[in-house]
Amino acid sequence: MLNYVIRRILLMFPTLLGITALVFFVMAYSPGGIGGQALEADAGSDSAVAAKIREYYEKRYGIHKPKIVQFGRWLNQISPLGLEIKDDGSLGHFGFKAPSLGDSMEQNRPVMHLIRERLPLTLLLNLVSIPIVYILGVATGIQAAKKRGGMFDTVSNATQLAMWSVPTIWAGVMLIGLLASRQYLKLFPTSGLYEVEAAHMAFLPHMVNHVLVRGYLLDVIWHLILPVICLSYGSSAFLTKLTRGSMLENLGADYTRTARAKGLPENVILYRHVLRNSTLALITVAAGILPSMLGGSIVVEWIFGIPGMGQLGVHAVQFRDREVVLAVTLIGGFVSLASQVLRDILYALADPRVSYE
Amino acid sequence: MENRFGVKDLVVFILIGIVITMVGLCMAQYDRQWELIRQANDKIDRQTADLARIQNLLARGVIAGPTSQPAAVSDAQSAGFERILKAESYPDYSTGDAVYDTFMAAPAKLTPLVSQEYTASQVQSFVLDTLMKRDPDTLKWVPSVAKSFTVSDDQLTIDFELRKGVVFADGSPLTADDVVFTMDFERNDSIEAIRARAYLDKLARVEKTGDYHVRFVFKEPYFMSFTIAAGTEILSRKFYSQFSPKEFNESTGLLFGSGPYRLSDPKNWHPMPGAPIELVRNERYWGVPPAIDRVVWKVIPNPSARVTAFRNGEIDSYDPTPEQYNGLCADNALVARTHHFAIEVPNAPYRYIAWNEKNNGEPTRFADKRVRQAMTMLLDRQTIVSDIVRGYGSVNTSCFSALTPQADPSIEPWPFDVARAQQMLTDAGYHLENGSLIGPDGKPFEFELNYNSSNSVLKQVAAYIKDSLGRAGINVNVKPGELSVLIDKMKARKFEVYLGGWSGVLESDPHQIFCTDAIAKTGDNFVSYSNPELDKLVDQARSTVKDELRNQIWHKVHRIIHEDQPYTFLYIEKSLNFVDGRFKNVMAVKTGVNPLQEWFVPLTDQKYK
Repeated sequence: MLNYVIRRILLMFPTLLGITALVFFVMAYSPGGIGGQALEADAGSDSAVAAKIREYYEKRYGIHKPKIVQFGRWLNQISPLGLEIKDDGSLGHFGFKAPSLGDSMEQNRPVMHLIRERLPLTLLLNLVSIPIVYILGVATGIQAAKKRGGMFDTVSNATQLAMWSVPTIWAGVMLIGLLASRQYLKLFPTSGLYEVEAAHMAFLPHMVNHVLVRGYLLDVIWHLILPVICLSYGSSAFLTKLTRGSMLENLGADYTRTARAKGLPENVILYRHVLRNSTLALITVAAGILPSMLGGSIVVEWIFGIPGMGQLGVHAVQFRDREVVLAVTLIGGFVSLASQVLRDILYALADPRVSYE
Repeated sequence: MENRFGVKDLVVFILIGIVITMVGLCMAQYDRQWELIRQANDKIDRQTADLARIQNLLARGVIAGPTSQPAAVSDAQSAGFERILKAESYPDYSTGDAVYDTFMAAPAKLTPLVSQEYTASQVQSFVLDTLMKRDPDTLKWVPSVAKSFTVSDDQLTIDFELRKGVVFADGSPLTADDVVFTMDFERNDSIEAIRARAYLDKLARVEKTGDYHVRFVFKEPYFMSFTIAAGTEILSRKFYSQFSPKEFNESTGLLFGSGPYRLSDPKNWHPMPGAPIELVRNERYWGVPPAIDRVVWKVIPNPSARVTAFRNGEIDSYDPTPEQYNGLCADNALVARTHHFAIEVPNAPYRYIAWNEKNNGEPTRFADKRVRQAMTMLLDRQTIVSDIVRGYGSVNTSCFSALTPQADPSIEPWPFDVARAQQMLTDAGYHLENGSLIGPDGKPFEFELNYNSSNSVLKQVAAYIKDSLGRAGINVNVKPGELSVLIDKMKARKFEVYLGGWSGVLESDPHQIFCTDAIAKTGDNFVSYSNPELDKLVDQARSTVKDELRNQIWHKVHRIIHEDQPYTFLYIEKSLNFVDGRFKNVMAVKTGVNPLQEWFVPLTDQKYK
């Protein structure tokens, strides 16, 4: 097992190198090229001004250098072992150094700062919605499988199918239009994560001059409701289907019949034997959820004005912001590969028959 | 059985219970402190406001003590603040309340010079002052920090006299030292003031000629020199000299100035994704203070969420598209509680069709002036304005707005005249054969029309062009594309016709888009249009500092562009705005809706504390 894990971890480095190289070269050779929009921002202005700005970008970010050199410099920059980079951009001695993700060309700020600002938002949204997705999905799935063909199963089947089919972008706009508009029901805010007043509120709900002030905590929860609904309904429908399917498969298996024959109570069969065997499918799905948790949901973030990792990545691609695109790719790639290793380990834990030796 | 609930479990449960209770108590305790801080803050705010009122009254000379300085606001009454002073005289005038506006995307940083977004410059305009400012109604330069200026005869030197009594938000005086510091700071190579510095190339030096006198000396006469000198936002030497260039470059919120609003804590401001940006009134403002306490920008990227937020009253000001504007205007309840404006503004973006005269080095059909003129006359631009832009625009005749003195008012747009256009094409050697137009080379007249695929209005305009020219026997292949792909094509000068737009400015410089030396790859004369007479006139205008003289030359330039039609100018958009009705003294001025410093909310209508 340990052997296998070490091998997989070592394999991650060439894979990551391949992923980032692919992304870099596709971006570099796409129309506009690296930093395309930064250079176009001054179209129509004085040519002397445009030339000065171009010169600045070339000096600051080396975008005029051959593409392979640019990629090499980036690799050197993120590596803890390599050539030291001086303040003026020239290279120094070989040795250990602090790895860096570089500066965003568009925002002129360290990429690390951008990620530090946005990751918590994406994590908050996902940490709230993932438990909801799992609890709802697994519970409904078990119920539906338990009484297969019954009223609950039929109704939940139909609703899950509908939920799975409705695109998030449509649902989000409808939710805002119906539940956040004065024209219909004004129950929720239209966008953002908190009101500007929330910064001046105490944490818990409280009374000021006999008026209830919702406090910071409730304000954030109130803002999170619509985005979390949008984030969770589709995946929870998917998980329900998945749980129901694998539960039914195991319910029809020989060992279930044996358990019933020896007179075990139905609940023990269901939760101790069948559910445990059905988790393998859930583990497979969970491995895909982790990277998307960090990647963020582009659509939900855009509709509700929550600038998380998804928006950062998409915007950087539009802008051809070399450092940000590569950093997001690197992080995304790493988390995907790591969660695959994690999934393999979990397989072995959940099912003693699985062995990697 | 082994799963029975034992004493050990009980202890664990009790411990967890205690921890949860403690956390709850801590939060409650923290909230009590918060409440006390809030009360203290309220008290300080009230006292600061009282103090500011007293200072302002003193400054206006109501009770002038022997030691009080002659202050800036006393002469403010005559210049630059007329509309605010008029608002103050209304019986229901009151200070207080907040304005909520929106941004599509949050600015990455608010620090002046190193920020790049338009949104950041919008926030900065409330916090930083310039030497002179353009009156939004007359478009003339009016006093701001400087009360007067003189331009030397050789047009190289501009002297400014600053007002006395202008102070920054910390109360320190703004003097000639701060102006000199600002210009030196911008020109310091270690400051990443990339865009600002690029414009300062023609500035030789800035000198202090007295505590309240500064002189700008330019290397050569340049038409933008007054704008550069008068329009530079002045930074505080005391505040900004605390930071090293590296700290400044990396900072996100170092926005501090002498303007009517301020950032409450510039040193610690950093962008918080999802949080609004808030400015508070600068209680030490030297001019006539604005009535509104706070200006807040919410970030709402999604257009339908923005409309809903405006309908809900969550935001107070909204710039709709023509389609949304009509939709909102149809809602009587909404119209009753809002102000709405459709204003023709001089700095609005305009749309054009660019006829490439040299495709990949080979002259095209559009190299013939008569063909370009005929193309313009084959298009009913008034119909484009009334049907596609829903009437919220007007046909333009060049890159100069008809509302600025740059444009020659006697020039009328080319008419929609199919017969005359056809005659011109016949003169140029074209003839109709089986319904399609055949060129002098014997080949049918057809071309590819490129436009940015993400723009739905352009899509309709392109369809209209295809239809109109199709009637004259010209085959138009409409080809939408991604903007960066199109830019690459234009840079390589490998395209036939491009349908696009340029953003508008108060004084347009046609050099980069129409002069011969901008045909080279770095310029934006991607249609390869060349007219030596135009080149000469543009150069002449660019080196003329005096407005009247320069405008006379621009009029000649305007006539040539109109005659040559390197572009078919389609239309210039109107500025569409909705503003919540509780604001009073909201009106249309030349540049759009008047600045919010001039608005107020009567006490009974105020919404935010």
